[in-house]
Amino acid sequence: MSSLQPIPRNGLVWLLVAQVLVILPHLAHLPLWIIGLWLGCAIWRVQIFRMRAPYPRSWIKALMMLGAAFGVYFSRGGLIGLDAGVVLLIAAFILKLVEMRSRRDALVLVFLGFFAVVTSYLFNDGLLAGIYSLAPIIALLAAMIGLQQSPAGTHPWPTLRLAGSLLLQAIPLMLVLFVLFPRLGPLWSLPQPKDRGVTGLADSMSPGDMAELSRSSALAFRASFEGPIPDRDQLYWRAVTFERFDGRRWSQSFKSQLPQTPEWSPRGAPVAYSIVMQPSGRPWLYGLDVAQVDAGDVRLMSDFHLARPRPVDKPLLYQATSWPEALREPNAGPAVLGRALELPATGNLRSRAWAAELRRAHQTPKATVQALLSHFNQQPYSYTLRPSPVGEDIVDGFLFDTLNGFCIHYAGAMTFVLRASGIPARVVAGYQGGEVNPSGNYLSVRQLDAHAWVEYWEAGSGWVSVDPTFQVAPERIERGLEEALDAEQDLIEGAIMDLRRYRDIGWLNDLRFGWDSLNYGWQRWVLNYQGERQLEVLQGLFGKVDSRKLGLLMVATGALLVVLLALLLLKPWRREQDAQLRQFQGFERLLARHGVARQAGEGARDFAQRAAVWLPGAAAQIQAFAGLYEQARYAGQPTDLAEMKAALRSLRRQLPWRATVSKPRGGIDGDNL
Amino acid sequence: MRVLPRIRDRWLLKRIPPGPSVRLNQRRIFIMPTAVGMSFLVALLLMLLAAINYENSLAYALTFLLGSVFVVAILHTWRNLAGLELQAGGAEAVFLGEQACLRVRLESRGRLYQAVSVGWPKSGLQLVDVPAAGTCELQLSLPTERRGWLRPGRLRVESRFPLGILVAWSWVDLQLAALVYPRPLAGDLPQAVGLDEESGEGSRALGSGIDDYQGLRPWQPGDSKRRLHWKAYSRGQGLLVKDFTALSGEDPLLDFDELAGDIESRLSLLCHWVVELSSRQQPFALRIADTTIEAAVGVEHRNRCLRALALFGQESAAPQ
Repeated sequence: MSSLQPIPRNGLVWLLVAQVLVILPHLAHLPLWIIGLWLGCAIWRVQIFRMRAPYPRSWIKALMMLGAAFGVYFSRGGLIGLDAGVVLLIAAFILKLVEMRSRRDALVLVFLGFFAVVTSYLFNDGLLAGIYSLAPIIALLAAMIGLQQSPAGTHPWPTLRLAGSLLLQAIPLMLVLFVLFPRLGPLWSLPQPKDRGVTGLADSMSPGDMAELSRSSALAFRASFEGPIPDRDQLYWRAVTFERFDGRRWSQSFKSQLPQTPEWSPRGAPVAYSIVMQPSGRPWLYGLDVAQVDAGDVRLMSDFHLARPRPVDKPLLYQATSWPEALREPNAGPAVLGRALELPATGNLRSRAWAAELRRAHQTPKATVQALLSHFNQQPYSYTLRPSPVGEDIVDGFLFDTLNGFCIHYAGAMTFVLRASGIPARVVAGYQGGEVNPSGNYLSVRQLDAHAWVEYWEAGSGWVSVDPTFQVAPERIERGLEEALDAEQDLIEGAIMDLRRYRDIGWLNDLRFGWDSLNYGWQRWVLNYQGERQLEVLQGLFGKVDSRKLGLLMVATGALLVVLLALLLLKPWRREQDAQLRQFQGFERLLARHGVARQAGEGARDFAQRAAVWLPGAAAQIQAFAGLYEQARYAGQPTDLAEMKAALRSLRRQLPWRATVSKPRGGIDGDNL
Repeated sequence: MRVLPRIRDRWLLKRIPPGPSVRLNQRRIFIMPTAVGMSFLVALLLMLLAAINYENSLAYALTFLLGSVFVVAILHTWRNLAGLELQAGGAEAVFLGEQACLRVRLESRGRLYQAVSVGWPKSGLQLVDVPAAGTCELQLSLPTERRGWLRPGRLRVESRFPLGILVAWSWVDLQLAALVYPRPLAGDLPQAVGLDEESGEGSRALGSGIDDYQGLRPWQPGDSKRRLHWKAYSRGQGLLVKDFTALSGEDPLLDFDELAGDIESRLSLLCHWVVELSSRQQPFALRIADTTIEAAVGVEHRNRCLRALALFGQESAAPQ
């Protein structure tokens, strides 16, 4: 039974199946040569099993390992880091297949497989990936079982069934551990996978970037409100502000990234909601103005955007409260206002001239803004994702020549004109609107909802948001980009694959909403079941919790489950159902304690006679019980269990209370043992 | 160093009393993680570290799932022995130097027991599956090291099924025993061995081994294979042995005291002659120490003599 035994066929079959299942989800981020390597190794392995090929010599093994390492180095640009590490792990997982000779090697392979499944979660931890991973895990368990089975006469299917039932039986205990096991923060920082496809807003933006973003139907975040969902035109999700303009691009100011809390006072009714945002690779969070987030390290920055020290590189859940009517920085300092007035020294002369004109015509910033908005409304401006090309001065070209564009054109141009006429203003970038999921009462906001609008500053009223795009294409705000761009549908990337395209088909649309809602639940309840979230859930369930209480609860429920499972598996009630026999066994045990053990093949009567000689004090009781038993058992007389019980009781009373175990009579001499 | 096994043996004696059949129950099965199980736990710890550091809920879930599988495997491994019944089968007597073969029957009263191994650790365990509500018989062979009763002691029954991360085992004493005869050693008996002076003829014949060939007779168990008449067998006459008859005279007496040399070599020589004379169907008597076995012939006689030789100088006459 040593672990150096050869690998049974059943074990090998499941090992190969498990390997395919483990590697499949990794293919999305593995270099292609891995597939070739795997095919080669699997064929070689099968040939070894059929005794048509030898095991590789050690120099071939060394060569293959070196080759794999080189392959990783060239395709990943190094051997360090998570991405290279995962490729190396998979390569080792594959190469071990050819190298393994004994059961111990095969077990190493199984453990590598479990690790590979864990690493696949770092790249994709969606609902589907989670469900899928049950397949490789069952196959790996089946391989473990197959390795233990005797080589003859075992089939793959019973093995798989056993693996499945092991897994099913483990699930209740797993759930208890998952809910109650305390979550710690990271013990040390680890590299994160690089190629998680991140699309989203960037630190700086030209109109082209925004158009690019509007073509992606990828999810940005989902939000559920505690109350009713506010109207669409209230849903301006701020991400970041652009305060610098270099003539072509709008970008974030370094100063605005300082974590100084700006001065603001809440007004009106607050709106409470929670957001699960997709990884963005940026440190900022999304929120309606003005938002407060009660997660430890999230801060409100000096330009009212929310940020945390680390980039968001995995789905993040947070609770926020917003005061949409808050008064923001009514007494802003000169530094802030100075930043909101900066313009490039040259360029866009026509716009500057128009700004000067506006300043002369209107007394207050508010009136200037009104004039600008009605200009956009009344002149033949149009909304399109395919704006006509403009020359060197992009603001002039857009305002006076092409008259078409989308949000960033309007917001950028308006901010430029306001600044030129002496009104502090900045571009706010974020998302607008979102799709309401009727089956979950929450909003899904996608990259194509990315939007830019303007906020300007006026003494006394502080920062005020305005959206010039609304003047041109109110349907963009009221119903969303896709409605606004009916003619340009084909611009939205991957739209054919996207079920959203078929939203006119009722059941398909319901299916899409249902699936989205499932995913959202998965993110909220499973992926984000960490730290504070766990504490919150546990407190909801059990009241105030501390680690001691949690530990006790975990041990108690775990033990309860194991006992239940043990009862179910071992069925102790089936052990001895014959009541008479049970009494006789009690009789046997009692006498054995007093030194008379029944010998194999010794009948009840002989045994009783021998016992009576050995224990003369209780001879009468012994004979009485044996007589009753014989009668009930062999004479076909009606059983009177109570009588037998009484006889046994009186025998027990007759014998000394504390038995001294002497050498059993007619027993065995202990020296032989 | 000898104290610990002694204590263990005494404890086992109480817990699993010896008997010709033993049913494994909760008092008799022990369970521990194997080396593989320990490395499985180490792997789980590493997975937990990854889950903590990447704050990945699915990695947590998988770690907990496999941890729970470990716990469930305790029950399954244990169950794969629980209720199994072991019964002692017989064992044939062998000559010293041959492999003793002891039979053990495994009986299931309910479910299938997979990959149960039975044996003595020093001579290797045998792997069997016991079918549901059925039996399977095992032949366990052991090297023989000295004559007399071979009592291999407690038998180890173990199972690592299903996952190999735990081992459940029990030590059962089925009171297995096999009789080991001395090793037969050919050699001459001294001229005068136990024979009367006047019947010198017979002694010569015994000593030299030149016998009168008397004909063929059907083979019967106990006959030497060297005397098989292969030609007759190839002619389809069945298994025949060449029969020899010793010269007339008194039945020879094999007397331990008349032989020279140390005890074991004397026993070996006697053993050889017991086998030899029995195969020739020649009556003989045996005298060893205080026992004298009267002259007789036949398998029973032969076995009685061999048993006497095997147990010479040993205390316990018979096992239970």
